[in-house]
Amino acid sequence: MKTKLSLLSAALLGATLSITPIVSQAAIPLAVDGQELPSLAPMLQKTTPAVVAVAVSGTHVSKQKVPDAFRYFFGPNAPREQVQERPFKGLGSGVIIDADEGYIVTNNHVIEGADEILIGLHDGREIEAKLIGADAESDIALLQIKAKNLTALKRADSDALQVGDFAVAIGNPFGLGQTVTSGIVSAMGRSGLGIEMLENFIQTDAAINSGNSGGALVNLNGELIGINTAIVAPGGGNVGIGFAIPANMANNLVQQIIEHGEVRRGVLGVMGQDLTSELAKGFGIETQHGGFINEVMPDSAADKAGIKVGDIIVSVNGRSIKSFQELRAKVATMGAGSKVEFGLIRDGDKETVTAVLGESTQAAEAAAGSVHPMLQGAKLETANSSGVAITEVAQGSPAAMSGLIKGDIIVGVNRTKVSNLKALKSALEDQQGAVALKIKRDKTSLYLILR
Amino acid sequence: MIIKDALIYVGKAILFGLIMAAVIIFILPLITGQSLTNGITERVSSSNSELSFSKAVRRAAPAVVNIYSLSIDQSKPLNPGSLQGLGSGVIMSKEGYILTNYHVIKRADEIVVALQDGRKFTSEVVGSDPETDLAVLKVEGDNLPVVPLNLNIPARVGDVVLAIGNPYNLGQTITQGIISATGRNGLSSGYLDFLQTDAAINAGNSGGALIDTTGQLIGINTAAFQIGGEGGGHGINFAIPIKLAHSIMGKLIKNGRVIRGALGIGGDAVGPVMAQILNIPDLTGVMITEIDPNGPAAKAKLRPRDVITKFEGESIPGVEMLMDRIAETPPGKQVMMTVIREGKSYEVPVVIAEKPVHNN
Repeated sequence: MKTKLSLLSAALLGATLSITPIVSQAAIPLAVDGQELPSLAPMLQKTTPAVVAVAVSGTHVSKQKVPDAFRYFFGPNAPREQVQERPFKGLGSGVIIDADEGYIVTNNHVIEGADEILIGLHDGREIEAKLIGADAESDIALLQIKAKNLTALKRADSDALQVGDFAVAIGNPFGLGQTVTSGIVSAMGRSGLGIEMLENFIQTDAAINSGNSGGALVNLNGELIGINTAIVAPGGGNVGIGFAIPANMANNLVQQIIEHGEVRRGVLGVMGQDLTSELAKGFGIETQHGGFINEVMPDSAADKAGIKVGDIIVSVNGRSIKSFQELRAKVATMGAGSKVEFGLIRDGDKETVTAVLGESTQAAEAAAGSVHPMLQGAKLETANSSGVAITEVAQGSPAAMSGLIKGDIIVGVNRTKVSNLKALKSALEDQQGAVALKIKRDKTSLYLILR
Repeated sequence: MIIKDALIYVGKAILFGLIMAAVIIFILPLITGQSLTNGITERVSSSNSELSFSKAVRRAAPAVVNIYSLSIDQSKPLNPGSLQGLGSGVIMSKEGYILTNYHVIKRADEIVVALQDGRKFTSEVVGSDPETDLAVLKVEGDNLPVVPLNLNIPARVGDVVLAIGNPYNLGQTITQGIISATGRNGLSSGYLDFLQTDAAINAGNSGGALIDTTGQLIGINTAAFQIGGEGGGHGINFAIPIKLAHSIMGKLIKNGRVIRGALGIGGDAVGPVMAQILNIPDLTGVMITEIDPNGPAAKAKLRPRDVITKFEGESIPGVEMLMDRIAETPPGKQVMMTVIREGKSYEVPVVIAEKPVHNN
């Protein structure tokens, strides 16, 4: 009886087992005629919930001076300025990078000037997001939502990408709803396009259109390799030339924003240019790509690390660089205080130096919105230690409304003198309510009130 | 009683068997490290190294060059001059012969070729052929990268291809697509002979390479389909097949131009309707519709409404084939043609002339 029982059990067991593999493989045919049929669907099932729609709304305020002729008609009490408020709405995409904290990366240009940011999740939920920090020069912004059951994208090492690798763009083009497009990596380290201040783009032919901004570029494993940011579009639409901020660069910026609420730009303290074939010939070296150092600032990070004029920097942390612009973008996004290994060529020999990046204080530019909300739209730069120069004011921005114009030099806050950007920042940090800025304009001094 | 015993016996066996099966099914994936449900994604990640075109790119991309025109400011003779991006080209041989499009270089006074390793060369034009929109340049340099080439594998519709070039002078760019359509391969007259692809091709891609997934050159990118001057972006782009481009290159290197034969006629294929009108039911051939008064056909006393049915004894089914046969004939050679005029057949000797080059 016992043996009979076990025999029958074994027979049943065998029968059950022999059936199961057939059942488990019948779902999707992996191959037809012995050839694999590739589909990205399984990968996308896991990744698409991590890409969100970003809807923003706000108000553009523009002021127009009323011409004196009209003031003549309407009397001396007529308003000097005509204020126009134009509400705007915008759409973009974002990528959840931390499911527990609810962190979402997007482009700065997607959320710039927005009063309200609404996140549309893949499962239909709509949640209001908080802006944690943004960096206009590299076009990265970090948002946060409070929600459960979020899916985050894992990050791939974007420096390991090669031209020819498959790339898949996920986003919300033209507000159509989530859209997936595929292509390849067309080029790496693209800079000098004049789209952002700091450029080190991955170029792809995956179709990217308006609304894809801030969305994900992923590899075939569904890992984040870039944040889709811009396109070359002579006719307005995609022509197969799109640009994404590499995931590594975005991650560096995001870590700084999480830690400090802002980007603390690293400074190496060098000036330079691309290595050209003429320069290479002149210096008798075989390398044709790199950043040629023209000038090293005294006491800078580069100076301390022993970088000299005439050196050619060919790699950053073991990854080769193509141009000086790429070097600049990498250094500026790594964050002050980070330890960076530079590969360089000096007198034809290869050398490596390690530098600890300094913080940008002298002659550095800052997005002014992080200094004071009413300075948003202005570009600030330390002016020869005598104050902070306004190098640019965006039309209709809070800075312009405050009365700042290009060329102004901020020399004081209330009664405190400020000689550089750092001093201005710390002086404004302590202030509550209205602030009086002492401004030098041409040869006159005046006070402007920030509210 | 016996029935009850048997039922218990069978029931126990089934229960035990099912439990064991469930346990094994649960444990097996853990042992082999493979879940039954994500077999597909596992496969994608495991063969990831093959799912990139980086190998093909590494083989071919160094041989694709950027072509610039050097414009020198006359008022500043000491200025080295500025480079203006024109298009792309492909290094075909160690001797430095470069294939590009004729329209890329036709307006340039001085041509500069930039390699991907940063080297720049001034180059001379070896020869150009406006009919096929091809030109050959030559640079003198050591260790020039040469594109891999296989003339014997025709491109098929559906093949995955990569376009390499310098769109909008952004720097070298690789885009991917498939062959959307093929024309006719290896014909010398060059008309209608394009490969069509949906790989993104934009201004500046012209003269660049279209390669297959092994990195071998299959075409020279030439044009993008445009609507109302709005450039590109429609996924309809054209390339000259490498077999044609290669044969034109050989002719340009040998003679500096492509020598084509000409007959000096325009014609239409004779269709069934025309055959009926002419009362010769199974007539096939080319009816002459216009004639160059100074051309070889006029000299041979051919005239409009004559129907050419044979060229050197070979029947002529259509205009393209006749044009190809004539183009391939060396100028000065006498050929026999069979012509039907007013229902009667004649053998006419014609001396083929050289086709004049139209520089547009």
